[in-house]
This record gives sequence, structure tokens and C-alpha cells, in this order.
Amino acid sequence: MNRILPTIAAVLAGAVLQAGLAPYLSMGRVVPNFLLLVVVTIALVEGPGPGATVGFSAGLIFDLLGSGPVGPMLLVLTITGFLTGLMHENMFAEGWLLPLTVLAIATLSAEVAYGLILLLLGDGGPFWSTFFTKMLPGAVYNSALALLVYPWLAHFLRQERSITTFRRLG
Amino acid sequence: MKLPHPENPSNALGVVIVLVVASLVITTVWYREGDLGPIHKLRAGTHAVAAPLQATGEFVTRPVRGVLAWASDLGVSRSQLAALKKQNTELRSRVASLEEARQENERLRALFGFVQTAKLEAVGARVIGRPTNSWERVITIDRGSADGVRVGMPVLATEGLLGQTISVTNHSARVRLITDARSGVAAMIQSNRAEGVVKGSIEGQVTLAFVSRETTVKAGDVIITSGMGGVYPKGLLVGEVTAASQTPSSLFQDIKIAPAADLLGLEEVVVLTGTAPPTQIGGGE
Repeated sequence: MNRILPTIAAVLAGAVLQAGLAPYLSMGRVVPNFLLLVVVTIALVEGPGPGATVGFSAGLIFDLLGSGPVGPMLLVLTITGFLTGLMHENMFAEGWLLPLTVLAIATLSAEVAYGLILLLLGDGGPFWSTFFTKMLPGAVYNSALALLVYPWLAHFLRQERSITTFRRLG
Repeated sequence: MKLPHPENPSNALGVVIVLVVASLVITTVWYREGDLGPIHKLRAGTHAVAAPLQATGEFVTRPVRGVLAWASDLGVSRSQLAALKKQNTELRSRVASLEEARQENERLRALFGFVQTAKLEAVGARVIGRPTNSWERVITIDRGSADGVRVGMPVLATEGLLGQTISVTNHSARVRLITDARSGVAAMIQSNRAEGVVKGSIEGQVTLAFVSRETTVKAGDVIITSGMGGVYPKGLLVGEVTAASQTPSSLFQDIKIAPAADLLGLEEVVVLTGTAPPTQIGGGE
């Protein structure tokens, strides 16, 4: 129970940030995806099952907050949460390079998958143009934000453990 | 230190399969159900809850955005200043000629009784929310059904057409901008009356589609709404042609447009409530 509440709090905080703050942190036309960062972090900390479940919830919130079709981000974050969670066993608490690498790959994969699904549904644009204007900048921006979000959120989610992630960053 | 594994991986695989199937079912239901379906209603509820959050974000970040805008204006270079002065001179001469046209237009309207077309009612609104993700160009305004706003109504800025309302709650509404990939506006080139459809895109590029190759189009041509389809009243300023080109394999010209209105920097808008909106929204809405 004491593990569920921080997870729910993290998802709700991600939803509030996505609705209230993310639009004002946009660079060009790229809006950060806080819900994606929450899903990937929780998946790394908790594992594939919680990662997929939280991905499902966060994806549904993301789709409902927007005005496009409901379902694409739901599917993307569910699978992203699961696959990222598979890396959970390899996460060393003191390490920072591996989590960040996983975060970067996960955000890029999620952006590309979302763009491809929109394309399949007839709501997307030309792939390469979309890749360079939306997917890649979005992944870079989210990865940069992950530098701020991941250590704090991982620490918050695992307060009962002695997480010292990023202390070796220097 | 390695983190302990809290679960059985085979259980996780079962969970993800169930959730993926649920995702596909929800996507299918979304496309199949109507506007009054459960998922659409859930979205409307989410938007109603999110509107105050967005308004708070808009309010809290306004001073910061003001400072940033002021700082960016400090960077106006000499060349930009010269260009602006030149543009000002051109605009002054254009205003003079347009004034002549306006007076002539007024006389004609009086003559033919076109004043009836000005029966449009409007309500002013403040922008309280910006796009919540990178993939859409949708803003939120602080007027809703309680103020007479309905789905499908045109929304304007002082500079020109912004878009159309796509969902409405009691005290807020979402407006799809003309730059959104799902947007389509029946429009025409003012000078030669050639008709087409102004379309947005994922990348944010706005184009005028379906204009035949025989039509002469040049940069600077003004685009206005054509009134076809009945969604937008005729004559609303949409933007200006920035480039026009032709490819041998295409039936139509490739025309790029710069929207007249500053679509994301705006703070106040006008909703034309007097128009009778047909249900042309697209994108499953």
C-alpha cells in the first residue's frame, strides 16, 4: 500500500504538470511530456508490471487531455512502461548513465511510436519531416528534463531504500 | 547495490497483454462511438477538470512570459528595424488605398442590402490554455455553453481567423487552430477568387490545397474564407501566401501560407456565436 500511494501521487502530479505547466515550457512547437517521464521513471524503479499499469493510466490521461484520438498514447505508454521496466533488474541505484540512456531511448521510441500510430490512423504527417520537427526534438527535450525529474522522482518513489542515484554525477 | 525485483516477469507479461488489448478496444470504441459516447464524455469531463489548471498555469506564467517577450524584443537588429520601417511605409500606402475600397464597399453594401450579412453575434474570450502536447494546435478559452458558445463556431483574433471550437464545457471551450493537422478551412485567394482549402499540418506548416495549376498565385496574395460549407462566414482574413510552386506530378499547386493571426501568442479572442455551425470537425470528434 505504501508503494501504491507515491505512485498514484506521481501520476497525478504528472497530469497536473502536463495540463498546467507543460504548455508554457514549450520550445518552438515542442511541448515536454511529463507523463512519459513519470512512466519511464516508475518503470525503472518498480519493474515491468507496474510500468505497464502506470503507462496505461498515464497514457489515458494524456490522450484525454488532448484533442486527438484517444488510444495512441495509451498503447505507446503501456508498452513503453513494460519494456522499460524490463531494464529494472539492471538498474544500479548509484549509477546515472544507464538510467539516463534508458530514459533517452525510451522517450525517443515513444515519440516515434506515437507518430507512427498517428500516421497509421491518418492523423500524422510525412515521417521524416515529423521525425525532425517533432519526434527528435521531443525526445531530446524530454531527456534533458529527465535529468531533473528522474533523480527526485526515483528518490520519492523509493524512500524506504537508500537510493543515492546521481550522487556520483560529479 | 542492485534493486530487488518485486514481481514475477511472467505475471507482468500477462498484465501488459491485457492492457494492450484494452488499449486497442478503447481506440476502436473511440472511433466507432459518437460524440455522446462514454469516452467522449470522459474527455469532456477531463477538459472541464483541466480548464482551471490551465487557467492557473496561464495566470502564473504570464509575468515570466511577459519578461521573456520583452527581452526578446530587445534583440531587434538594425536590419529588422529597417525592414519594419519599410513595411510601415508600405502599409500606410496600402491603408490609404484600402480606405478607398472600404468606402466603395460600404456604398455597394448599402445599395444591395448586404448589411444583413453583418448579423453575426460575437462573444469575447480570454485564452486560458495552450496546447498540452507537441502533436496538436488546440487552445482553451474561458467561454463555454453558458455564454452561448457551441461546437463548430469560428474563432477570430483581431488580425484574422484563428480556428473553430471543437468541444465545449459550461465555462470553457477548446479551439482547434488553423495550423492543426486536423483543421480544414474553405478559403479563396482574394485577388483572383480561386478557391481551395487551408490545411494545417503536424509540422505547423499551413497550406492552401486544391488550387489548380492554371491559377496565378504569388507571394503576398491575401487568403480569405470563401464561405463554402457554411462553417466560416465569407471574407474572414486567414493569411498571406508566402510561397507558391508547382511539381510536374501534382494536379494542384503547392501554396504555403503565413497565418494572419499570431496563433500562439494571443491572449484575447472573439467567438462568432451568431453562425449556425454544421458538424464538420473531423478527427473523431
